[in-house]
Amino acid sequence: MKKRDTLKWATLALASSLAVSAAWAQQTTLRVFVGPNQRPDLQAKLFEQYNKANPGVKVEIETGGATSELQRQYLSTVLNAKDSAIDLFLIDIVNPAQYASKGWIEPLDKYVGGAAVLKNDYLPVYQNANVIGGKLYAMPSQGDAMFMYYRKDLLTKHGVSEPKTWEELSAAAKKITAAEGNANLQGLSIQGAPIEGAVCTFLLPYWGQGKQFNDAGGKLTLDKAAAVKGLQSWLTMVDQGVIKKNVAEVTTPITVNEFKAGQAVFAINWGFAFDRFKDDADSTVKGKVGVMPLPAMTGGKSATCMGGWQWAMNAYGKNKDAAGKLIQFLSSKQASAFIAREGSILPVFQSVYSDAEVNKVVPWFKDALPVVLGAQSRPMVEDYGQVSDIIRTTTSAILARTKTPEAGVDEIAARVGRLMR
Amino acid sequence: MLSKLRDPSEKTLALLLLAPAFLLLLMIVVYPIGKLVYNSVYAVDKNGVFLGLQNYIDVVQDPLFWNATKNTLLITLVTVPGALIVGLGLALLANLPFKRKWPVRLSLLLPWALPLSFAGLIFAWFFHTEYGVVNDVLRRLGLQSEPTSWLLKPNWAMAAICLTVIWKTSSFMALILLAGLQMIPKSLYEAAEVDGASRWQQFWQITIPMLMPSIIVALIFRTITALQTFDIPYTMTRGGPGEATETLAMLIHKYTIDYSDISFGSTLAVFMFVISLFVTGFYLKQIGKNAQ
Repeated sequence: MKKRDTLKWATLALASSLAVSAAWAQQTTLRVFVGPNQRPDLQAKLFEQYNKANPGVKVEIETGGATSELQRQYLSTVLNAKDSAIDLFLIDIVNPAQYASKGWIEPLDKYVGGAAVLKNDYLPVYQNANVIGGKLYAMPSQGDAMFMYYRKDLLTKHGVSEPKTWEELSAAAKKITAAEGNANLQGLSIQGAPIEGAVCTFLLPYWGQGKQFNDAGGKLTLDKAAAVKGLQSWLTMVDQGVIKKNVAEVTTPITVNEFKAGQAVFAINWGFAFDRFKDDADSTVKGKVGVMPLPAMTGGKSATCMGGWQWAMNAYGKNKDAAGKLIQFLSSKQASAFIAREGSILPVFQSVYSDAEVNKVVPWFKDALPVVLGAQSRPMVEDYGQVSDIIRTTTSAILARTKTPEAGVDEIAARVGRLMR
Repeated sequence: MLSKLRDPSEKTLALLLLAPAFLLLLMIVVYPIGKLVYNSVYAVDKNGVFLGLQNYIDVVQDPLFWNATKNTLLITLVTVPGALIVGLGLALLANLPFKRKWPVRLSLLLPWALPLSFAGLIFAWFFHTEYGVVNDVLRRLGLQSEPTSWLLKPNWAMAAICLTVIWKTSSFMALILLAGLQMIPKSLYEAAEVDGASRWQQFWQITIPMLMPSIIVALIFRTITALQTFDIPYTMTRGGPGEATETLAMLIHKYTIDYSDISFGSTLAVFMFVISLFVTGFYLKQIGKNAQ
């Protein structure tokens, strides 16, 4: 009797463990890397939606690296080691060319359709970024571009209208800061620390003169005189007290925090910052923030820096089919509209900018579309890591006044020229 | 063969007993160094093309390499003696006959226990133009009307980094020197006292010579870590302004991780390895002399 009992229990245990392991075999776990500046909280909600519709797939989220460069460092360490631990990751708009040339990311043609998919309502800039050698390497998830934020209340109070040129902006900032008499109030906050944002700080006043940094083939077409003039315009604003003296210490989060604390009249920052000004508990400027296109250089036209995040698949991953299906969902119009509504994140689809539901939450998106369509891309080249490092380090040194604009631009022309010819 | 193993001669036995340690060394020392040299002469990413000495020629012609080497040597030359002097002072202080020894020793240990990058971040905030305590104190004392951007001026940034490194590493020096101090027999000082030697004479004639072996050991460790300085300048200035405070280790990291150029990064690492080798060799020779 006892023996039979034991046998019965053993059989039962075996059967149940078999059933559990069969369920495990069906369950695919996908590990996804999302940087903290790409709203992992919202991505987690999207994964939850996906999990519900696809019970066989479990999506785990991993996050780390506060900035684009730190995330690039982390991912390149993982991918150089051919590690399969992460299946999908979000990468910056400037990165697909480098990742593809290293063989780190899987072409997505097989999983989401060919390059032609991106012609369908997506912002055109993402075709240039994500299609390399005719193959589709990444799918756009979040749009982003640099905007000029300003204190609507202060402009109204002092009878100043939205400035159209940098000279007008300087004059407006000086008038307002002088009248307010608050020592902590700065005219304009820009990013001068040697971070990715400083690449845009270099390019904005250069593009604003109607100049191009590179041609379609990725060859450097730097107009040195225009680049010097652009950098000089920042230094002039520092001398006039519009931008603060230690601008070379200012990072993207510092601009966000100081604008939130009511310490800046104007601030240049990415689109994501709007949500922080509007919703963060410690924001003192709720309801007082205006958004406008960047001013132009005199005689030039307004230009801004395009950003955004793309879904890419680990070429060494082990769950490519499941990952491909997840990418399809994450780069859908539905997902883009969801994060636009929930996080004021710029959509990657043109039609979502005028989506009624989205506009209810973020009315300024309607006016943002022409700005985003006219936005310029940083050079998309294999050696972008190096190009970016040279530009941001030199720009920061110029703003710290340890290099003259002339010497700095010569250095950029020589060193970047060797990488982009 | 088997019988030989069962009843090994003295020589075979020695080899057998050394084998595990030798294998371990092979795995964790010889292989990585060999791989490093291999990576420096082959293009790791570009289908493994043989490059020969091309990378080595490029390194020697790279102004960034010379700039980083200069910065690394400067940091070494300033912070090694700096940490030795401060560390010796701390060790002498901790060696005084306090009633309770542990508070002194604990405060000695604390900077050493702090991760390097934390120390860098903390001091970066100390020296920040607007939010830093340094400018705040100077302003309160009336020594400054305009805040100074310490980390945006090449010389000040270098000075701030050296100060941080000395603060961070002195306690390690002090620990080693304290251990050395406690090994000096008290009878020597008693004898010197009887002979009428002053405190100053005792310090130079007894303490320093008796402490020399500890000093050399501490110097070796400190110099090698100084040559590898990375965390503190990386977190304080990112090598800036421009490349004014970029060290060799940071340049290696930049090429390998930021630029994904493993071959060139490996070549730079070979150069750093050779520099470290020379310095260690020099110290080992000093130890040999000292032992004699």
